[in-house]
Amino acid sequence: MKKHRRLGVRLIAAVSALAIVAAACGDDDDEPGGSGSTSDIGQETTTTLDNTQLQVGGEIVDLGTFVGDPPEHIDPALNVTLDAYQVVNALYDGLTDIDTSDPANPKIVPHVAESYEANDDATVWTFTIRDGVEFSNGEQVLPSSFVRAWERASNPDFAGDYSYLFNFIKGGAEKLAGDAETIAGVTADDEAMTLTVELSSPYSTFDAIAGFQLFLPMPSAVDELDDQSEWENGLMIGNGPFKLEKPRTDEEIVLVRNDGWAGDANGDTTVTLDKVTFRTSADPDSAYNAFEAGEGDTANIPSGRVSEAEDNYATTLDVGILGVYYFELKQTDPVVGGEENVDLRRAISLAVNRDEINEAVYENTRQNATGVTPPGIPGFKEGLCEYCIYDQARAQELFDGWKADGNEITEPIKVQFNAGAGHEDVVAIIVDNLDAIGIPAVATPIDGETYFTQLAEGACQFCRSGWFADYPTYDNFSYDLFHSDAIGGNNHGEHNNPEYDELIDEAKATTDPAKSAELFQQAETMLLNDDVTVIPINWYKGDYVYNPEKISSFPQNNFGLIAWERVTVTDAG
Amino acid sequence: MISYTIRRLLLILPTAFAALSLLFGLFFLLPGDPATLIVGGANRNVPEEVIERAKVRYGLDESVPEQFVNYWKRTLRWDLGESFQNDRSVNEILGERAPNSIRLSFWAILIEIAVGLSVGIISAIRRYSVVDRVTTVITAVASAIPVFVLGFVLQYALAVYPNKHDWPEWAKLRVQGRGPDTWTLFFIPTGETWRYLVLPAITLASVSTALAARMMRGSMLEVSGSDFMRTAKAKGLSERSIVLRHGLRNAMLPVITLIGLDFATTIGTAVLTETVFNWNGIGSTIARAVGERDAPVMLALTLVVVIAYAVINLIVDLSYAFFDPRVRLDSGGHG
Repeated sequence: MKKHRRLGVRLIAAVSALAIVAAACGDDDDEPGGSGSTSDIGQETTTTLDNTQLQVGGEIVDLGTFVGDPPEHIDPALNVTLDAYQVVNALYDGLTDIDTSDPANPKIVPHVAESYEANDDATVWTFTIRDGVEFSNGEQVLPSSFVRAWERASNPDFAGDYSYLFNFIKGGAEKLAGDAETIAGVTADDEAMTLTVELSSPYSTFDAIAGFQLFLPMPSAVDELDDQSEWENGLMIGNGPFKLEKPRTDEEIVLVRNDGWAGDANGDTTVTLDKVTFRTSADPDSAYNAFEAGEGDTANIPSGRVSEAEDNYATTLDVGILGVYYFELKQTDPVVGGEENVDLRRAISLAVNRDEINEAVYENTRQNATGVTPPGIPGFKEGLCEYCIYDQARAQELFDGWKADGNEITEPIKVQFNAGAGHEDVVAIIVDNLDAIGIPAVATPIDGETYFTQLAEGACQFCRSGWFADYPTYDNFSYDLFHSDAIGGNNHGEHNNPEYDELIDEAKATTDPAKSAELFQQAETMLLNDDVTVIPINWYKGDYVYNPEKISSFPQNNFGLIAWERVTVTDAG
Repeated sequence: MISYTIRRLLLILPTAFAALSLLFGLFFLLPGDPATLIVGGANRNVPEEVIERAKVRYGLDESVPEQFVNYWKRTLRWDLGESFQNDRSVNEILGERAPNSIRLSFWAILIEIAVGLSVGIISAIRRYSVVDRVTTVITAVASAIPVFVLGFVLQYALAVYPNKHDWPEWAKLRVQGRGPDTWTLFFIPTGETWRYLVLPAITLASVSTALAARMMRGSMLEVSGSDFMRTAKAKGLSERSIVLRHGLRNAMLPVITLIGLDFATTIGTAVLTETVFNWNGIGSTIARAVGERDAPVMLALTLVVVIAYAVINLIVDLSYAFFDPRVRLDSGGHG
């Protein structure tokens, strides 16, 4: 899923210059006895959740989640951003959950479903729903609660950007197109407490997707609404560890403990905090100022202030996030696309100095990417990309060879990015790197509000993008970003290779994890080395900063999600 | 004067009509089909029928002239429609934003009047003194500092720094939002609210205060060279009486125009201040609505700005009669 596109940040470029000044001040302001050993606390953010020691009580004000515009949607059927998923995830529990206690190896575990099974070819999945799970209004969560939610989320008049996921279910495509009243492949039996899902084609990791926000259950209260879009603007009812205290406003979303929570995947019903207040901030630097002025307990680290934040507070910078920062080269572009220009693309990838980017822009907080799919995704293999290293000599050689074949670049290659979102510096380095071997390139900022829409409509030449995993499956990267089905959506480089598509389809249908992983890796190797549609830059890290004098534990998992029900404060009162 | 006021108030109608009609037209020139934006984003191939249904629901299926007529019918009933973006009632959004903007502008203008005018007057009276020179430099700098830079610096100096150095609670000003948001007589902050108001009000006032001071100074100097001032001096009036009764009263006219314009402008266009201080007002909401092609929100908030402009201009014109007895409002033409 995309990180929220920050719309209110045209100011940043100018303000970040100031931030440097402020950073210098920040060091001077370090009070003796203040927060000396905070970096140690930062290390503990991913420690295992030992409930016997959790301190219950207290409340926090979060300034780190909604930076930019207020969240467009918090309805699970409509939301597309990681930011709002923080709230959705606190309000709802799904069929399955992701156990990230071993970050290198996330596991899918049953949650609201007490168990589930698939038939041999992974086309029919049967979930048995746990007894005694209730929504916060006391209504029981039944198999039909899921059917209600899915029919609602696939209603073509209402459906959100993620609704394409219903295509995986038999009859989902027909429902979305308005040709069917219901999704044919879904059957609920409230007596037997089973939910049976027939898929449109074999999908060996459907259990990972079944826990995603689109598939969360809904209480019968939604049936009484005239207009489904009222749900998220009212007192939306869920079955998660928290519930809404009052309807959301553009300024804040307030969650309070749901005392009737049925517990996490292990049945642990502890919700530490009494209350979490999410405040919306229009500008990341002033949100950070508000954090430093004691108006909130967490913030998002603004670019350029990483080491300052690390020195003074605790951060989640050590948490590896399952996300990739990359550039795409459009395959149908006359200059950079097509088979005849593959050496040019290889030269570009080799010319990019990823170390320089990491150091200059991210203060070495990120991990250089050696492929698209990040470590922590089952099937990950290090070093798939042959051209994702910095080798200027070889880049020069490939570029010279390409020119010797009679090719030339008449107009500078456009390095496109969403303006005002902190990518200027990255692009400046890349333009510089390309210039060093004689490839003319020009930084091309595009209005952030319409950037991804323009890319989806085919505006990409050499364009920046970023992607966070929704669930721990390989195809969440390889299918959603580079399969020909995703052209017009997230496949901005219009990568279209039937052989690649075939490998991905086969891998998705393969139930043996080792074999499936091999197929995915084979496809990605083809994508990176033969087609060279994508130039991975780095893998993300956590970017929350929090006040260790107030918050003693702030667990962020590698999907970027905070386990709000496990956040503890030092003085719970 | 009463009939003048009524005439002027009636003039607001055609003004608002013209302004909004122009905006309405411009909206259709913006790229991007609103119906497609309403039903889904870029990542979803929405069936054509769904787009059609959305168009019907929001009345976008009709011809532009029909939509135009319907828009005005609704607006005259003060039914401002629903936001395309999140289906919230625009009347409700307006009800939240407008008081925020008006209160912030009000305090910024008070600062502009109190600080700007007194600094300008003192500079004029003590022309070429050290005070005058210093204020000239300060006002030049203040009018050149970008709003978000000033806001950022003020936040650091008056909120972050006090917090890091454990100043008493009451001395820490606030960076974001409006706090408890409690007010007496609409304009007077009560409880903690003032701590949230101070920084955005100063920031919003900064540039206009500097300009008002410079204009006041210039206007005073110009007036002091005029004949009636020499007459007043010749009559042997006291310095105080000359400056206040004769000088100031005449020098105020252009400054009042400036302040009136500032008031109207800051209500609708304080985008930067509102953004930096998270002060949820009209300006930033309009800016966002334009980005999101959210026509109902954009048009409704602009309507309020137009009305505010017209009313404040009227007040300014009426005040001319007070400051300058030569102005006769009811004598036909405009005052």
